[in-house]
Amino acid sequence: MQQLVNTLLGGLTLGMVYAAFALALVMIWRSTRIVNFAQAPMAMVTTFIALRIIEAGHSYWLGFAAALLAGLLLGALVERVLVRPVEGKAEINAVILTLGLFIVLHALASVVFGNRYRSFPAAFGIRGMEVGDMTIALTGFGIFTILAVLAVMGLLVLLFRFTDLGLRMRASAYNQEVARLLGVRVGHMLTLGWALASLVGSLAGLLIAGGSLVHPGYMDAVVVYGFVAAVLGGLDSPAGAVVGGLLLGVSLSLVSGYVGSELVALAALAILMVVLLLRPQGLFAQARERRV
Amino acid sequence: MIEVRELSASYGAVHALRDVTFTAPTGEVTAVLGANGAGKTTLLRTITGLVRARSGSATYDGRELTRTAPELMPRLGIAHVPEGRGVITELTVEENLRLGGLGRGRGKAGAAQLERVYGLFPAVADRRTALAHTLSGGERQMLVLGRALMAEPDVLLLDEPSLGLAPRIVAQMFELVQSLVADEGLTVLLVEQNARSALSIAHRGVVLNLGRVVVDDRAEVLAGDDQLRHAYLGF
Repeated sequence: MQQLVNTLLGGLTLGMVYAAFALALVMIWRSTRIVNFAQAPMAMVTTFIALRIIEAGHSYWLGFAAALLAGLLLGALVERVLVRPVEGKAEINAVILTLGLFIVLHALASVVFGNRYRSFPAAFGIRGMEVGDMTIALTGFGIFTILAVLAVMGLLVLLFRFTDLGLRMRASAYNQEVARLLGVRVGHMLTLGWALASLVGSLAGLLIAGGSLVHPGYMDAVVVYGFVAAVLGGLDSPAGAVVGGLLLGVSLSLVSGYVGSELVALAALAILMVVLLLRPQGLFAQARERRV
Repeated sequence: MIEVRELSASYGAVHALRDVTFTAPTGEVTAVLGANGAGKTTLLRTITGLVRARSGSATYDGRELTRTAPELMPRLGIAHVPEGRGVITELTVEENLRLGGLGRGRGKAGAAQLERVYGLFPAVADRRTALAHTLSGGERQMLVLGRALMAEPDVLLLDEPSLGLAPRIVAQMFELVQSLVADEGLTVLLVEQNARSALSIAHRGVVLNLGRVVVDDRAEVLAGDDQLRHAYLGF
């Protein structure tokens, strides 16, 4: 019983992080039809910025805020400078671009921050709680992880559903030409979309790093999980990304707890294959009308 | 007044517009007619800057449009309703309308404009929270027309609004355009293949053939010229 509860809670916490990462992928996919393979190293770079600040003796929260801000700026910069020239071109261009960025950021981080494992602090305790005679694997930092991701998702929903800016951003994602004719500065909206997605990715990076070890490749496994979660939910659906992330987190946690932790990566790919075979549009994709 | 002077545009090696010259007077409906591929859609797209002009100009009250970004059109008071209607199907009806109201740059989309548009299009008002992809063709046409009106434009550029619609709906819509022109002094550039309907509300008509202007005259002259009707207008 205790093991099951702990496995599920661990999966839920991890699933929240996958959900955030998948959400970042989906936001970029929806607005620019690009799979951002560089999402993980972008988040990694911002986490290292946080680590630098924390190691320099500043508070965890200053590092945390700086990393999110850096994520916002990095996302905007990448879209405006690198992605803009390949938008609307053959898809392979964007794929090669983001893969190239993946490699470049990795290499740069190794040079600047060093290619070794370093411990990253957590804002809250990382020891489980004791309830009666059971030790529950829900840590202070785990609760913070869940709340932080929920808060960001809530803010995104508010932005997209209830503000004029969000309406402009959605219009730009769905139909650039019509949005332009209605006076929307589509370029600005795409830049902002990348910036926000990159911020969400940075949050995922910080939450994975918390109380753990970081090095330039520490996010690479999350790329796979985030991507599986995004495809699981349907690349077009933000809600799907969140549910996909949670499903994946819990499934992988169950595999890790009851089958063997060495099979986690394999299980993720097996889930991806099954979904692609049975429901290639994802579990939550909306039926889209065919454009004639 | 929209003045088009020796406007040329091309897609690659294909000359879509060649030295097109005409004037769309303020407060009138100017119909742009001609067969498929005559350059009608390209004309509108070049005017609002979606297609780059090779040479020539299109001005609105003296202001050059062809080198102005399309996203600035609403601020100038110009609403371009593109071919195929351009409903953003993933948004709700009301979101589509609100979006139209944002473009003029007067801050928040006014509830007053929204109520006015709902008043003009009761069928659209009934569906305000529905996703736009659930609308019928006629409802979509009303929606994009309403969305254009949300910005309270002075000039309306309509690209094939009758395409695929039942004659009764077309008649309703053209009647509405006519009353907007009469009541509010709207200037309309109406691109149509349905020449008979278009000429019934137009003051002037411009006929394009292979990217050139072949006729530019009063609407009743065009409608009364049998030879012209048979050659270019198909009725």
